[in-house]
Amino acid sequence: MNDPDSRQDSDQAASRFHGLFVGLFNAHFERLYRYLDRLSGDSDLAADLAQEAFIKLYRRGSLPDSPEAWLISVAMNLFRNASSSRSRRTRLLTLARAEGVHSEPGPSPEAAAIDAESRRRVRSAIDRMPPREKRLLLLAAEGYSYRAMALALELNEASVGTLLARARRAFRATYAGEEQRDAP
Amino acid sequence: MHLDDEQVERVRHGELPRELEKSIREHLAGCSECRSRVAEGQRDEDWVYSMLRVLDHPPGRIDANAVVARAGGTGLGRWRWAAALLVAVSVGSAAFAMPGSPVRGWVREALEWIAPRGNSPSPIPTQSPRQPAVAGVGVVPGRALLILFTSPQSSGEARVSLTDGSEVVVRTQSGAATFTSDPGRLVIDNRSSTAMFEIQIPRVAPRVEIRVNGVRVYLKDGDRARAGNVTVAGDVYVLRLSLPRS
Repeated sequence: MNDPDSRQDSDQAASRFHGLFVGLFNAHFERLYRYLDRLSGDSDLAADLAQEAFIKLYRRGSLPDSPEAWLISVAMNLFRNASSSRSRRTRLLTLARAEGVHSEPGPSPEAAAIDAESRRRVRSAIDRMPPREKRLLLLAAEGYSYRAMALALELNEASVGTLLARARRAFRATYAGEEQRDAP
Repeated sequence: MHLDDEQVERVRHGELPRELEKSIREHLAGCSECRSRVAEGQRDEDWVYSMLRVLDHPPGRIDANAVVARAGGTGLGRWRWAAALLVAVSVGSAAFAMPGSPVRGWVREALEWIAPRGNSPSPIPTQSPRQPAVAGVGVVPGRALLILFTSPQSSGEARVSLTDGSEVVVRTQSGAATFTSDPGRLVIDNRSSTAMFEIQIPRVAPRVEIRVNGVRVYLKDGDRARAGNVTVAGDVYVLRLSLPRS
């Protein structure tokens, strides 16, 4: 039987969760998207995965202890799955994204060429980094806490700073390698 | 003793353990070499992050409500909705089958509205009474109700009218959309739909807002109603569900 009091409590809990979820989404969606975009080099995939991670969180019906770390872990799992079955993936909300892109004026051809070259070098440098350092660097760039990064990447939190310094050195080294390769 | 890499990073990121913070700050105040390493680490990080930004693409318009709509509500919400739907279908079927019931007339009117005869010489196919092609939902508007269409449509309209009833009623043809309601919110998942929708709003409802893909297209606030992208036919607002391209 439906107890009106318990139903009211349940409605209040659902409403409270909804409010928390929206707050979390507004605070973290863009940074999760940007992390995945930089990691994968595929902005459509990044938007899909970030959404799917939040959909899973909503369907969970309650917040985990560390929502940021949970979202990163889920998104990483989705990324691994998507990487192995990219052709079967369906796009979500691509219409809205396409409209956003078309509404912005494009750069001049010269600026576009320089941008493309910079992107290629940075992309290549990122791709050549060791996986753990790469993920840590990209998460740190989004301002995630040491605790969230340690939980998501299964690292010892006490050594996150040391690993971060190492990750930046790794990026510098791979980027310098790209510049040398392009030098005449 | 100078700071190690871990401590230099934590100083810059505000991640020092509370028990070490005071002593490390004191050391920094008196050690130019460590201050220099902290500053160098900051410059290095700024450069790396500026490089990473060249990879970025804007995320586009994706809002929390659209994601919630795709999630389909919480598990409890889904079961409650399913139960409510079952009850509504049962009551509707019983009312439809009752001799002299006005429900048949309502269904016929709704069908004619969805598929008007116009000038077409071909008759409207007779609908089986057992398969009424109308889906809908009624919700109490409360103090404020947000009606959210999750997607723009390539065609289709929503006709909004005010009624003397007590519930907001949304109708469309069966299969054109799915409805999910939470307190204060009615989400209409109309992906890939080109359907017409009929929305009836009680005059006494304090505030009812309609959004399409996050964009407000109608707002009733007290006695006043405002709408964009709309034509007015008598007392009916006709909202286009296809958003204008920017």
